[in-house]
Amino acid sequence: MVRILLRFSENIVEQPITAEIILALKVPINIIAAHVNSKGGEVLAEVPDAALEKVVTAYREKGATVSLPKLIEVDSEKCFSCGACVALCPVEAITLADDNSIVFNKEKCIGSTCGACVEACPARAIKSVKQGNSELANDLNPKK
Amino acid sequence: MKKLVESSGVEVAFKEVDVVTTGTFGAMCSSGAIINIGHSDPPIKIEKAWINDVPICHPGAAVDLYIGATATSETQSFEYGGGHVIEDLVSGKEVELRATAYGTDCYPRTRIKTNLTKDDLNQFYLLNFRNCYQRYACAVNSRDETIYTYMGKLLPRFRNATFSGAGELNPLMNDPDYETIGVGTRIFLGGAQGYVIGEGTQHDPQNLNGTLMVRGNAKKMSPEFLHGATFTRYGTTMYVGIGIPIPILNEGLAKKTAIRDEEIFTNIIDYGVPRRDRPKLGKISYKELKSGAITIDGKKVRVSSLSSLKTAKKIAGTLKSWIEEGMFYLTTPVERLPLDSVFKLMRQTEETSFIANVVHAAVTCKENEPIQAIAERIVKQSVNHIVVIDDAGKLSGIVTSWDITRAMAEGRKALADVVTRRVITAKIDEPLETASKRMAQHNISALPVINSERKVLGIVTSEDVAKILGR
Repeated sequence: MVRILLRFSENIVEQPITAEIILALKVPINIIAAHVNSKGGEVLAEVPDAALEKVVTAYREKGATVSLPKLIEVDSEKCFSCGACVALCPVEAITLADDNSIVFNKEKCIGSTCGACVEACPARAIKSVKQGNSELANDLNPKK
Repeated sequence: MKKLVESSGVEVAFKEVDVVTTGTFGAMCSSGAIINIGHSDPPIKIEKAWINDVPICHPGAAVDLYIGATATSETQSFEYGGGHVIEDLVSGKEVELRATAYGTDCYPRTRIKTNLTKDDLNQFYLLNFRNCYQRYACAVNSRDETIYTYMGKLLPRFRNATFSGAGELNPLMNDPDYETIGVGTRIFLGGAQGYVIGEGTQHDPQNLNGTLMVRGNAKKMSPEFLHGATFTRYGTTMYVGIGIPIPILNEGLAKKTAIRDEEIFTNIIDYGVPRRDRPKLGKISYKELKSGAITIDGKKVRVSSLSSLKTAKKIAGTLKSWIEEGMFYLTTPVERLPLDSVFKLMRQTEETSFIANVVHAAVTCKENEPIQAIAERIVKQSVNHIVVIDDAGKLSGIVTSWDITRAMAEGRKALADVVTRRVITAKIDEPLETASKRMAQHNISALPVINSERKVLGIVTSEDVAKILGR
């Protein structure tokens, strides 16, 4: 599964775009997190690797912006393992190990749709970063 | 020690163990460093000073400065402060000093700008007037909005909790009667050796809220145990590492140092209430706090530590190895710390205004009343806000004279079309100051005052606030 970040503008946010794509492509799309209102929406979704390209194309045809989600990165030099971030993470992507170190699980993190931990870090050791897989990022860039 | 007392008893533990080392690493706002920067040519008697744009206190003669941990940068605001300046100096980084003066015959210079490292300083001493709190409250927030405090980010309606302190590893918890910790006790401070120089400010040992005043040579300290930090929308501070060795002089100390997290309790405090006496919602042990989740009103609430247990353990371990290797010698205190000091509340000679002082009856209406009737009431009562209530007198909305004017202009008949449902409110025991801030924040000019059942008790307008606070 690959996580993609979908953005819908005010003009298209009321259309059932995801439902239409699921029905047309017969691809399971899993919504991980969503912030949607009448002004627009941001949705973090998971799609099967094999269907990634046609799903991305389908969303773009319908006017949505598709990008890879920004994840959170913990700078271990700066982090002094206080744990202020742990209870704020809504998906339990940050946990404390037995030795009280901070453990960050990238698989669970929902990235820029959340960011609850970033401003709560007293050491300013947490940053929103782009996913490291640059090849995939290039694949997802809109063709110029 | 803790395990040994449990398995073999106090008597054996007393015979076997010579010293118990303790440690804590947390945000300690009442910290800072005194520096002497030497004389310039021509000399200056500094009046105002900044290091890396952080205002520095000038409490003494010409070139002695105190860097307070919570002073914040004039250019980077809360992202950089005195704690960060101290950390940068300790790390060996160069910092920029700017200073101004009025100029005297003996100190003619009026401005100076220079770069300094710790090696350029004559003295660079950490001088912390309140450190090492014996225990601290567990913080939660009852409000409908996220609040940002010195206890971190607190989510609305008790959705998270935070706590601070090392619990059973805290130095003062292991010597609660101050038998071995006193003036002159040598300690681990910020990665170097320092000393206890007295009880900390607000020292309250009878309520298990003891504190220490400490001093140490910052030139020898390490940034691993001394960190500048930022609490969003609160300010800057410094994380300080302290470790204290406790010599097991008697069986009593063997027993006391065997204290466990399950025996150390603290209060769960609602930081959502902007008063000195914040409501206590219950007691909780450090064992539960360290487990990651606590229960409030039968609901599971996730809890985070703000201080680092990992670093606290490292401090206790480091101190142990220093003692074993003969690098650290224990001292006898030259004077005992007070055991009976009381933490008094502030004597306030000027009256503080609360909502209760200015609240007055609200002009109300019911949802089913015609717009015309409400318009007439606004004119007759000469008010701008009408509070909409239900049959039980509970708040259901608010309309302003502007809403009614608009409704008339657009030919609307039903109140439901113009009423504001998400009403920003005030509580009767709230300080006027916070209510005023809320009005400004939401750009509104009145707050209905409600009780816990949402029953309308009255209204406070920006005019009422202006009369009292003069703004």
